[in-house]
Amino acid sequence: MNKRTKLLLNIAALVVVILFIIIANELFDSYIKRILNLCAIYTILGLSMNLVNGFTGLFSLGQAGFMAIGAYTVAIFTVPIEARSLIFYLKPMNAFLSGIHIPFVPALLLGGVIAALFAWLIGAPVLRLRGDYLAIATLGFSEIIRIVFTNAQTITNGALGIKNIPTISNLWWTWSIALLTIFFMILLIHSSYGRAFKAIREDEIAAEAMGIGLFKHKVISFMIGAFMAAIGGGLFAALLGTVDPKQFYFTLTYNFLLIIVLGGMGSISGTIISAFIVTGGLEWLRFLDEPMSIGGINIALFRPGLRMVVFSILLMIVVLFYRNGLMGQREITWEAIGEFFKKLRTRKTRNAKGGAKVE
Amino acid sequence: MKKILSVLLCMCMSASILVGCGGSKEAAADADVIKIGVFEPLTGANAAGGELEVEGMKLANKLYPEVLGKKVELVIADNKSDKAEATTAAARLIEKDKVSAILGSWGSSLSIAAGDLVKNNKVPAIGASCTNPMVTQGNDYYFRVCFLDPFQGTVMANYAFKQGYKKAAIIQEVSNDYAVGLAKFFTDAFVKLTGDESSIVEVGNYNTNDQDFSGILTNIKEKNPDVIFAPGNFTESALIIKQARSLGITAPFIGGDTWETSEFIQVGGKEVEGAVLSTFFDDTAPANDEAKKFVEEYKKEYPNRESVAAVSALGYDAYILTLKAIETAGSADPQKIRDAIAATKDFQGVTGKITINEQGDADKNTAVIKTVKDGKFTYLDTVVIE
Repeated sequence: MNKRTKLLLNIAALVVVILFIIIANELFDSYIKRILNLCAIYTILGLSMNLVNGFTGLFSLGQAGFMAIGAYTVAIFTVPIEARSLIFYLKPMNAFLSGIHIPFVPALLLGGVIAALFAWLIGAPVLRLRGDYLAIATLGFSEIIRIVFTNAQTITNGALGIKNIPTISNLWWTWSIALLTIFFMILLIHSSYGRAFKAIREDEIAAEAMGIGLFKHKVISFMIGAFMAAIGGGLFAALLGTVDPKQFYFTLTYNFLLIIVLGGMGSISGTIISAFIVTGGLEWLRFLDEPMSIGGINIALFRPGLRMVVFSILLMIVVLFYRNGLMGQREITWEAIGEFFKKLRTRKTRNAKGGAKVE
Repeated sequence: MKKILSVLLCMCMSASILVGCGGSKEAAADADVIKIGVFEPLTGANAAGGELEVEGMKLANKLYPEVLGKKVELVIADNKSDKAEATTAAARLIEKDKVSAILGSWGSSLSIAAGDLVKNNKVPAIGASCTNPMVTQGNDYYFRVCFLDPFQGTVMANYAFKQGYKKAAIIQEVSNDYAVGLAKFFTDAFVKLTGDESSIVEVGNYNTNDQDFSGILTNIKEKNPDVIFAPGNFTESALIIKQARSLGITAPFIGGDTWETSEFIQVGGKEVEGAVLSTFFDDTAPANDEAKKFVEEYKKEYPNRESVAAVSALGYDAYILTLKAIETAGSADPQKIRDAIAATKDFQGVTGKITINEQGDADKNTAVIKTVKDGKFTYLDTVVIE
């Protein structure tokens, strides 16, 4: 497969995706659209976490903190000024901030930049740690952010949270940003930086011996990850229309850890697939929560909560049989798809000839 | 092994699809059903509260299963105590189940998250126990049957003032919107009643799941208040009272309706004796016939519960109020139901008279004051504020 055909195939795939979004945007009801929006946001957040955890091999659990920064930046700056005095009814909003209104896109980017700045600040001391210690330090950071937001009453409205954030209801925002993120990730991973990240993941000492600046690359990866997490967090706030500190409890990070472990640490396509499985699967399993009767007898098993039980069992099965997640470190490439079809064809012809099955 | 597994998985999936189809066919068959969505946390951190509210709604549905000659079906959607999940659950109720009205949710932040959806889709929602003013603020489609943080804070300030307390200290759970709201309105009312700007001598903040409160309590002990107002989660509040008593603080503790759980007494033991709280409902002194009926039926239906929780009563009220509105509207059209709910006046609920005001809040003027006596919540007083 040469470069030209690949490019054509890529463009064709992109057109198909865009067509799908156009159709979905026009035809689907708000319930399906909401799930698709969530899928896109979870893809962005999963990719950001995978960049740090999967590609660079840094076990960081600070995702919720960076998301909170992005979400709150969008919330504070995009809420209509006239609504602010109603929302901040316990204590008035900080006089300096209460007059500032920024449109959605700049606010989103601002959130990303602030998060990246924080990543640089805490990255400098924290990234010298390894493994579990790094995880603990970053987890602590995300809790600190949450508690600061809880107590900064005049800026974040404390525990009451902020509502009336102008919401996004179509698919364009989330999906175009998700596609951009995917595109950026692919470019990044195939650049010299991406190779350096992977080298660090495999063996730090060997990477250093090859002349890769460990610290510099770790900080870069951490900052890009934080930037993307904040963008995802900002979109999340705009989708829900409200933020409050409890949302960013450290357990939120585990949702994305689940996505990248299920999809495969260090696989972009795996992350995308599992973001869809986790978000869509949970909704699809909702029928398990509803009461059900077979032959007029109510089955007591079908009650709220069963959905989570079944979902957990399915996850356990996947993790038991696919140790490295669904994709491992592999990617779906055009070559792989081509190979797959070739194999299928040869198998068919051999079966037709009466030959033995090819495993 | 993999093959066996994949076959098994396939079977599971196809079976579930079949079952799913069966369900939808059934729903399509009887169009004479009016659907009311129940939007509650049944898993996750708020599950206990959500469960209690659903119990009240289910009981109400059992006692009043019909309106306008049609069967009323409760469609329960779990919002997992999670905001993102809450919005999809609400969207599902509106789009997929096409409910006429929505009841819930326990936990104001979840209701706020669903607020935009019910507003944009013009489906009325009635909250049972979400006390945060922001739930109904600027939203014509969200209503509630409970009283608000301002009212409850005022009630406790009035109680404290009546007891002759001049100086109060506040310990609030700063990460909880409910506690922060209550503390703020208590402060306002108490300062106004005593006419003394410095009548609140100390404010202590703590976070959910904190264990050690000696720092806050030592500060409070120095200021020597007459009473301590400590709205917040029951476990932490019970621990605060315990630790205060061991530090030698003798001032009485007063709080809000979250204390009214058996855990509060279990954790607090003897030390919480004499603690005073305000709540929505008292099952030992039902206010009217409806309430009597509710308490009797509830005890029959759920014999394992020690007492009738106030949120169950509120869930019950939310349901019967909706039913009344459907009857008044004469149709299952969400817009008409919304207008009927908004026009509700002097509706006799289990938790007292309910009038829906312009904001969409229940104008209630009655709160019940209870105290802990001999390891039980005992009725103390009914406070009416005009």
